[in-house]
Amino acid sequence: MADINEQITYFENLFCGSQLSSMQASGLLLTARKFSKIEEKYKEKNSTKLIYKKIAVLASYTTHHLIGVMKLFLYKEGISPLFYEGEYDGIAMGLLDPQSEIFNFQPEILLLLTDQKDLKEFPPLFSDQKSIDKWINSKIQFYLNLWSQASTISGCQVFQTSFITPIYRPLGNMEANFLFSPTNCLKLLNLELIRKKAPNVTFIDMDYLSSYFGKRRWFDDKHYYLSKQGFSFDAYGLVCTAFSKILSNNAGIVIKCLVLDLDNTLWGGVIGDDGLDGINLNSSHAVGEAFLTFQKYLKKLKERGVILAVCSKNDESVAKTPFENHPEMILSLNDIACFLANWENKATNIQKIANSLNIGIDSLVFFDDNPFERDIVRKYLPQVRVIDVPEDPALYIHALDSAMCFEWNQLTDEDLLRSDTYLTDRKRDELSTKTVDYDSYLQALQMKAVIGNPTSLDISRFTQLINKSNQFNLRTKRYSEATISQMITDAGKYSLIGISLEDKFGKYGIISCIILAHCDDAAFIDTWVMSCRVLKRGVEQAAFNAICEYARAWDCKWIVGEYLLTKKNHMVADLLPDLGFEKAPNNWFDSTHDQGILYRLELISANRKEHHITTEKY
Amino acid sequence: MDEIQDKLQNIFRDVFDDPSIILYDDMSAKDIEEWDSLNHIQLIVAVENEFNIEFETAEISELKNVGEFITIIHNKLKN
Repeated sequence: MADINEQITYFENLFCGSQLSSMQASGLLLTARKFSKIEEKYKEKNSTKLIYKKIAVLASYTTHHLIGVMKLFLYKEGISPLFYEGEYDGIAMGLLDPQSEIFNFQPEILLLLTDQKDLKEFPPLFSDQKSIDKWINSKIQFYLNLWSQASTISGCQVFQTSFITPIYRPLGNMEANFLFSPTNCLKLLNLELIRKKAPNVTFIDMDYLSSYFGKRRWFDDKHYYLSKQGFSFDAYGLVCTAFSKILSNNAGIVIKCLVLDLDNTLWGGVIGDDGLDGINLNSSHAVGEAFLTFQKYLKKLKERGVILAVCSKNDESVAKTPFENHPEMILSLNDIACFLANWENKATNIQKIANSLNIGIDSLVFFDDNPFERDIVRKYLPQVRVIDVPEDPALYIHALDSAMCFEWNQLTDEDLLRSDTYLTDRKRDELSTKTVDYDSYLQALQMKAVIGNPTSLDISRFTQLINKSNQFNLRTKRYSEATISQMITDAGKYSLIGISLEDKFGKYGIISCIILAHCDDAAFIDTWVMSCRVLKRGVEQAAFNAICEYARAWDCKWIVGEYLLTKKNHMVADLLPDLGFEKAPNNWFDSTHDQGILYRLELISANRKEHHITTEKY
Repeated sequence: MDEIQDKLQNIFRDVFDDPSIILYDDMSAKDIEEWDSLNHIQLIVAVENEFNIEFETAEISELKNVGEFITIIHNKLKN
């Protein structure tokens, strides 16, 4: 092909657009090969935009081509992977041999691609419950052992695929009627693995993906016999899309908010023209039912913590009437965290939505039936994911669901509270307009904070906040659940501090996390993140006081902090100097923490900061 | 046959990223440096896709040279 710059530009465009997901197997394989030849140059040119991840892949089938294609999809998500490819049939060998290269490689992600062939044998016919349990247990022990080996690799998260129930059934339909059948044993094994799941493990539902794809086409016996391919090349696009979305969450990429149009998106027709009686939300009409069912799906998204916002070209009062007065509407105004209806262009409005919700523009998804509006948003806000909405509302759920936007690796209480928090924020805003100054507003909020070490129940949330905070984040270090768990057990070296907050309007849950590292006579602020929703409420000050207390408990002389500039964390550029820190002299702090701006504060001169939060410890 | 050879030549050039490849009947894996077992699979997938045919397991595992390749494709298209 032509010159290298042209090729790089070709791939930059490919990774921005949606062509990759619609490519056929042969096209994907070819593109993967072309990309592998210029990957290094592409990395050089795009180094500032990429997140680097070391990924080890262990499978009992060959993964060479799969890894090549997966690379494309990971780069599309902004991740530059460095792969370690295990030997063929290398799951056990790769991890259970202490000499294995994998321990030198130190993967951050370990992809365990299971296959029912790994299980060797199934329980014999007429096995009773007890012997089936015994079989399951022996298999579980094998995986528990693997996970425990993986947990010795610092910061490594295991992503393990579920077992796929087979399409060939020597017992025919009897497979469904006996617990001892291979089909049922695999189902039981999948369930038992979930029950025994360790914190350093995330499952990828391969059985779902294969069913979604169609198992008849998924299994490709010919290519298994020829070169031990795990599944059909035709399924690579789907599998790699799913893998890249799930793994990108591990790299801190989280889509939080769905921005919705109204007319012909939430209901049939145009509310401004057709009026309340004219729009179609009729449950006994095929098209009306499609819109209603779509709304039910959206409501489920909201309930699991996805923030819903509205962006509509309408007069606001007209746009709100169906929410207020239509008897069939599923979504209510309380489900919408930010409602923008006006006649400005949608790119401007979407930017406003991101600002008002205090989330990054790249954590938004846009769903609009109008291709013109979608193009505008694609053009002016390329960071926003835009769903290719089909003409037929019956296909809306499929379009949104199959885009796999909201692949989070954790689900926490805070996620479920979040949407409601934006609503209570409105009440807070009302309060702030009623109070005379900011101090009395903060007092009137009656804030209470609980500050202390995270318990095992808090680990998910703690990890999640660290991995998805971009703005209030001093060093933007990302840690897996596995690493956080390790740090908690290493109390001499690390102190982890979580802060949860509530006020008179509601609970926020854990909204700030700090990791202090004990380095000789200094407490180093390894991580300090906070949810932007509670900015300037005094949590910063309360956190600072807590940091001082923990540093004193270690008998430290200094608190040392570092600001590592990213594209998104300007907000905290002055956090440390504002709290009284001074710039540390060059080479003063003996460590590797010297890429950013290093600050220090002598504990003796650290004063308690005032704030309006009642704090308690746990 | 010529048409098949032309199309196949384009696939070879694409897969091996070498626009100078000219196919001849005796040409085999030893004549193209990158034609290893991994790329062989890729070649097969590309040919199946281009001609909308499916090879049998034996045809793929016993394939010796370009001439055989063309004959198999020709026979499949004829049926």
